[in-house]
Amino acid sequence: MGEIEIVGQVIGGKVAKILVRQKSGKKIELGDLLVVEEDGALLILQVYDLGYGSQVPQSMRELLAGLKLEGYGTELSFLEPELRNYVMAEVKALARIKGNEVNIPKTLPNFFSSIRHITEEDLAFLVKPSNPVYLGKVRSGSKALNVDVHLNAVDAFTHHIVIPATTGRGKSNLVKVMLWSILEQNNLGILVLDPHDEYYGRHGKGLKDHPDAKKNLLYYSSTPPPGTNTLVVNLRSIMPWHFEGIVSFTDAQLDAIRMYHNRFQEEWIEKIVHETEVEGVMPRTLDVLQRKFDTILGVCLDSSSKLQCRSKVFSDTAGLTTTKEIANALENGEKVIVDTSQLLDEAELLIGSIVVNELFHKYQRYKSEGKLDAKPVVSIVIEEAPRVLGTDVLANLGENIYSKVAREGRKFKIGLVAITQLISMIPRQVLANMNTKIILGNEMAIERVAIIDSAAQDLSEDDRTIASLDKGEAIVSSNFTKFAVPIKVPLFESCTASPQKKEKDKTVFVE
Amino acid sequence: MYKFAHLADCHIGANRDPVLENLELTAFKKAFDSCIQEKVDFILITGDLFHANIPDMRVTNETVKKMKEARDRGIPIYIIYGSHDYSPNETSIIDILDSTGLIKKIVKGEVVEGKLKLEFFIDPKTKAKLAGISARKGGLEKNYFEILDRDSLEKEPSFKIFAFHSAISELKPEYLAQMESIPVSLLPKGFNYYAGGHVHQCCETSLQGYARIVYPGTLFAGSPKDFEHSAKGVKRGFYIVSFEDKIEDIQFKEVSVCECLYFEYDASNKNSTQARKELLEELRKIQAEGKLIVAKIKGELSGGKTSEISSSEIRSLLMERGAVYVSINRYGLTSKEFIPVKVMGEDISAIENRLLIENVGAVKVSNEALQGEKGARLAAELLKALRQEQKLNEAKKDYLERIQKQALEVLELEGLK
Repeated sequence: MGEIEIVGQVIGGKVAKILVRQKSGKKIELGDLLVVEEDGALLILQVYDLGYGSQVPQSMRELLAGLKLEGYGTELSFLEPELRNYVMAEVKALARIKGNEVNIPKTLPNFFSSIRHITEEDLAFLVKPSNPVYLGKVRSGSKALNVDVHLNAVDAFTHHIVIPATTGRGKSNLVKVMLWSILEQNNLGILVLDPHDEYYGRHGKGLKDHPDAKKNLLYYSSTPPPGTNTLVVNLRSIMPWHFEGIVSFTDAQLDAIRMYHNRFQEEWIEKIVHETEVEGVMPRTLDVLQRKFDTILGVCLDSSSKLQCRSKVFSDTAGLTTTKEIANALENGEKVIVDTSQLLDEAELLIGSIVVNELFHKYQRYKSEGKLDAKPVVSIVIEEAPRVLGTDVLANLGENIYSKVAREGRKFKIGLVAITQLISMIPRQVLANMNTKIILGNEMAIERVAIIDSAAQDLSEDDRTIASLDKGEAIVSSNFTKFAVPIKVPLFESCTASPQKKEKDKTVFVE
Repeated sequence: MYKFAHLADCHIGANRDPVLENLELTAFKKAFDSCIQEKVDFILITGDLFHANIPDMRVTNETVKKMKEARDRGIPIYIIYGSHDYSPNETSIIDILDSTGLIKKIVKGEVVEGKLKLEFFIDPKTKAKLAGISARKGGLEKNYFEILDRDSLEKEPSFKIFAFHSAISELKPEYLAQMESIPVSLLPKGFNYYAGGHVHQCCETSLQGYARIVYPGTLFAGSPKDFEHSAKGVKRGFYIVSFEDKIEDIQFKEVSVCECLYFEYDASNKNSTQARKELLEELRKIQAEGKLIVAKIKGELSGGKTSEISSSEIRSLLMERGAVYVSINRYGLTSKEFIPVKVMGEDISAIENRLLIENVGAVKVSNEALQGEKGARLAAELLKALRQEQKLNEAKKDYLERIQKQALEVLELEGLK
């Protein structure tokens, strides 16, 4: 390391609000990571607010500005201005590092300690964990350091991840970067319900370009590019409980559904659509159910009373093994992207519900049989998470499989990656179960409050920092990091630059 | 209006039992008689005409005689390999019959700059254009589909048929969830008819961009599971397709050679003595006369050995009562006193593959080709090569050399001696 460049000095404050005077000619940014060296250890500090300091009374400063502005003394200036006017930074201590030992600081830095910017060497304690998921580079203010930030993916995904941010702050870029980094690992199954069809890379770079995509990535779409799978789910794969918490039914409708399912088992939807009479079910109830299935599943009868599946995503002939195959792939540690961009909300959530139910029950069974340890962790990436985890939704429609996963999935190695603009709509109990928060920029004060309240570390002073996070800048607050790590997420396109694996053999065609 | 017949998965030679062998041939003859009677313009067989690349000569002879009848009446027979009648190592009976002109392999193409360019075969009479991809062992034909030049096939005008012998992921029946398959998106779009093989259950459906996807299913039975499905009501037969410049009509022609009956007995919570007694009583109630009986014995015995429920006893009882044949499935029968090795699969080879995949990890080897699924596939191929029987009139020395040569080929060690 070259000569240490002092950028400031501790001049006062208290534990959560250490005051630092900036050295003239140096710049301290909001979010900067600073270091105090003391007793053979490093104390890492982070700037969360900046302000002016001056030895000159306010009235004098106002007068001087007036003189200059009104042309009375353009040459006027303060005597030794670098001593009299300066920038004050409010910082908080993030961590104390001694060797590879990282502790939450319990003491203040020495009074008048010199402060410098953090260097890459200072962060040598950030080692790559096993089963790493890559998040980006350590960020100090707006500068990215050449230090990678990884989490142990098995821990992080099992204990749920929430990614709160407003539009355009780089949520999907972050998720793509994360998924790219774990695509080669087959001890992590990931299901992505992709309502914007942005992860696979149908029209540009995407996860399909990963060298292991052929082996570890499955893509389901109602308009599949060659080599990928058609998203088609057979009506017989749908069970009454798949609708729980996703579609609202009256008690009479639920009774009718139960009766049809008891009597016709897996053919229950077809029988309802075909208006097969069942004693005790009112024709009006049947009418409403038919209309609901028409809207959600796109199934109806044509003029010759033949069942038609308009949506093509739900079918009475095809797709008998689709959900099983997806569940099996996840169980094998593969990544599955389901393009739901052409589906209505309810249909998208329903498909997720069918797959997750299948998986959840399998994993429950594995646990009871003592086989769960050998199974990979599975995580479900869901956009606009309040659709299934929102306080209103849970109050009005009751629990659904996603909230069940949020609540008890951890026991069965199933986690959620919840992406949302409106974290405030997710109940605190659910957020409390989400142990990793990757916080991107958010200009909405109410959302920032919810983020700060539920963070794994104390971010009570970071309101302004979160508001000022630029595109791709984030803070990782996790039970699996000792402190909230500021990161810069690289552009996904820069991750895809690695060369493709070469195919070994030429194909010889046998006629 | 023209007509063609679409058959698949005849699996001639699959059944060694003389009764079944006879039924299998009868089904084939009936199907061909029906084709002749219907005066079809050509017959298309989409794989697994035979159960093995070198089938038993007697059944081959019978099959050839029937096919010749059709040829003599001017009905050409077009064919692609299935997964059973193709061999990577030796000539297949299909090649021999193709050489004689009795049948015509319609798959033609070459890999140019990494793209598989298929050529169309044009039926001289109807001008129907046929292209296709044969099967290879273990679903390896998927590689062909992945490099297939779909554009050129899609651009070809007029009536065209695409023949293939692979399961389509979107159309697999539930019980075949584990079967290797290809997504439909790998098929070229815009063909008038997609003639499938490999899935032993008839199916006629469409998916977006793929108007008519048709699997005739097996004509009789290629595996014990087929008997079970037949006994549960799955129809066996083939399709007759009428067309001009587009499909006009598709008809399933049922081929029934024997009435099948399904019997299931759950032995759960009974000891082997109780279960045996009750099972035999139940079996005595069956009207077995002239039927092919599929008996499924399942459940966990509370005590005793599963072997105390004797298959031969069940078989004798039903045969005495006039059954034509008895197929017994007792894979689901277990006993609390004995922990079985649990395997699932559709047939012996599926079970074998599963066991190999499950256990390959236990063998520590550094060579990548011997690890994981690749290793399991190699082991399966090797086992297949090694378990071949000595041919009639084949000298022991020649037999040993042949087996050794094929085993080394499988291991890609041809240079070694």
